[in-house]
Amino acid sequence: MNIKNIAIVLSVLVVAIAAMLFMQKGNYVTQATEHYTKTTGNSFKGSSKIIEYVNSTAGTTKLLWALTCDAVQGAKTSQDMAKLEGKYFPATKGSNSISQKTRRFEPTAAYSIVTTFDKVDVDKKTDLKTLSGLKSIDVSTLLGNAVIAAAAEEEEGEDEGEE
Amino acid sequence: MDNKKFKILAIVDAVLIVVLIVVMMVLKGNYNDQAQASVKEQVGAYQEKANGMLQEQWKSMDQYGMAWKLVYATLTTAKTEAAFDAAVKAIEEDKDARFKQLSYMYTAAGIPPKVQNDINEKGGLADKFLLKNEGGVKEVACGKNCTLTFTFAKGKLQASDYKALVEYNMDEAFKLEAPAEFHFE
Repeated sequence: MNIKNIAIVLSVLVVAIAAMLFMQKGNYVTQATEHYTKTTGNSFKGSSKIIEYVNSTAGTTKLLWALTCDAVQGAKTSQDMAKLEGKYFPATKGSNSISQKTRRFEPTAAYSIVTTFDKVDVDKKTDLKTLSGLKSIDVSTLLGNAVIAAAAEEEEGEDEGEE
Repeated sequence: MDNKKFKILAIVDAVLIVVLIVVMMVLKGNYNDQAQASVKEQVGAYQEKANGMLQEQWKSMDQYGMAWKLVYATLTTAKTEAAFDAAVKAIEEDKDARFKQLSYMYTAAGIPPKVQNDINEKGGLADKFLLKNEGGVKEVACGKNCTLTFTFAKGKLQASDYKALVEYNMDEAFKLEAPAEFHFE
């Protein structure tokens, strides 16, 4: 190889290395950006989920507390409770236990209230039994004094009662 | 061009190549260090922000739970200033009950106990509950940007308004912003 060729090859190398030098920073920026985007993205997703889920659950407790506070200020019968339940949770209904003189309202698996009444009223015409004389409302779940039942798919078992 | 000029060009090129390679190696180390430091700093800042929001929410939910407990107590027990003060004290001081109520809510929301403990260890429960107690007017915190006012006259409860709690908009109060673009100087 003569000196002319060597000089040309070296000149090309100079240009190539100079180009690499300019691209070097770009590569680091790209790598750093990727790492930053991935890490902060995971952090954003994880934290946002926690915030969202807690907000949603707190929203449910808000309605249940509001219902309970309304009830202790004026509700007397199981029908009064049913009206309040419909006001705050239109999609959920409570159920009376005539034998125990209680009404249970359970908008979610974790949160429920149990209202205790004094007596059972019987409608003479329809023989329909209701509860009256509201005594107390058990807010254990709202205070956290309960154990959250395992998430069972209870809804499926309720088909029998539909007819 | 004659051979002599090509020779000079080749020598200059060789020198330039050596210089450029040295510059490249030096810059490589610098860029690497800078990029790592910059990523660490910006990721750290964002994680601090996200954790801060989780801790703020935890504290607020603690105040929120205490506030509902207090409202319920004022509706179901004697409506006197003494009973109110006792209820505030009892609720605020019972940290086990506060944690239990909070943890129950987080568990109901599907947040694992380990995550709950992490948030609690870093931020802890709310520091304040009773915010103001002047001339029969008492204010309690019911979360971030949420305050309840109870007014007493001659030791009797005159007015209690818990509308702020009923209207409390958590989605507005707790919202984490998406991370900003990465900056590299």
